[in-house]
Amino acid sequence: MLVKVMAFASFREILGRERELELKAGSTVGDLLDVLASTNRRFKEAAFEEPGQLREWVLLMINKKRIDPFQDLGAELHEGDEIAILPPVAGG
Amino acid sequence: MLNDLEKKRYSRQIRLFGEDGQAKLKKAGAFIAGAGGLGSVISIYMAAAGFGKIRIVDCDSVELSNLNRQVLHWSDDVGRSKARSAKDTLEGINPEIEVEALEETISKENIDQLLSGCSLIMDAMDNFSTRYILNKAALQKKIPLFHGAICGYQGQATTVIPGKTACLRCTFPRAPPVTTFPALGSTCGVIGSIQVTEAVKYVLGFGGLLENRLMLWDGLSCSMDEVACMRNPGCQDCSALIGDANYKQEMSK
Repeated sequence: MLVKVMAFASFREILGRERELELKAGSTVGDLLDVLASTNRRFKEAAFEEPGQLREWVLLMINKKRIDPFQDLGAELHEGDEIAILPPVAGG
Repeated sequence: MLNDLEKKRYSRQIRLFGEDGQAKLKKAGAFIAGAGGLGSVISIYMAAAGFGKIRIVDCDSVELSNLNRQVLHWSDDVGRSKARSAKDTLEGINPEIEVEALEETISKENIDQLLSGCSLIMDAMDNFSTRYILNKAALQKKIPLFHGAICGYQGQATTVIPGKTACLRCTFPRAPPVTTFPALGSTCGVIGSIQVTEAVKYVLGFGGLLENRLMLWDGLSCSMDEVACMRNPGCQDCSALIGDANYKQEMSK
């Protein structure tokens, strides 16, 4: 299945603005993040505390609905889903 | 309501929203948390627009490395308190308004006192721990919080209306680490200007606000995106302070 990944702020500099990814049917948000991390070291370092553990402040949305990176990484993705990933910007 | 000088000073705005609208701004009191990059843009435009009372708070002194973006402060101000420097600049821009500049660190203990008499909270902080204090205070007092933040070429903004929208904690449940962030003055210009425009529309009661919308600015590609924000029914801040029933009531209106 094909899903769309949209990155914002510093994640956009690493992943690009948006890309389509081919995933196996039944893949989860966690699987998607693993694919991104395994193909992009900068993303892995920026988004993950340690392998498999996303940094707690990373914001994730599926079809514009925010999901909790601690609880919902097992959520199944579907054909055409749009996944947004962004770090909060904090400076002033 | 407006004197002759004010009618002349604000004549281009009065074309937009009339003397009544200008009088509403004159009655409004804004609390600006921070006199740095965002606080500079926010306070300068609020002062120029004629918000009747501005209380700006910052505990730091002006450093040379601030001057690329903190346009409230000039080269001669290096070493002075940011609060005093801010007061001088803002009073120079508009002597018709009341400017209070306080050299304080915002805390859970003093936030109530700092906000007294203000009906708008402008977020110009550089860290989320203080932003969460502003968020809770906005919820408790049921006054809006105009959030903005920047890093390098990127920025974000959203407007929190207690009882109606997601709060800041719903959108950003956990704080990113505090770092020395890269900063371009013009990014502060974009985001601070959006925050002021939001505050103007809120006070005047028209236009569409960034309610439940997080606006994301990317200066590098010169693009603006937005993502939807949703209330988290289990939010530790707004659920506890306002209660889900009140949100349901508001949603059913």
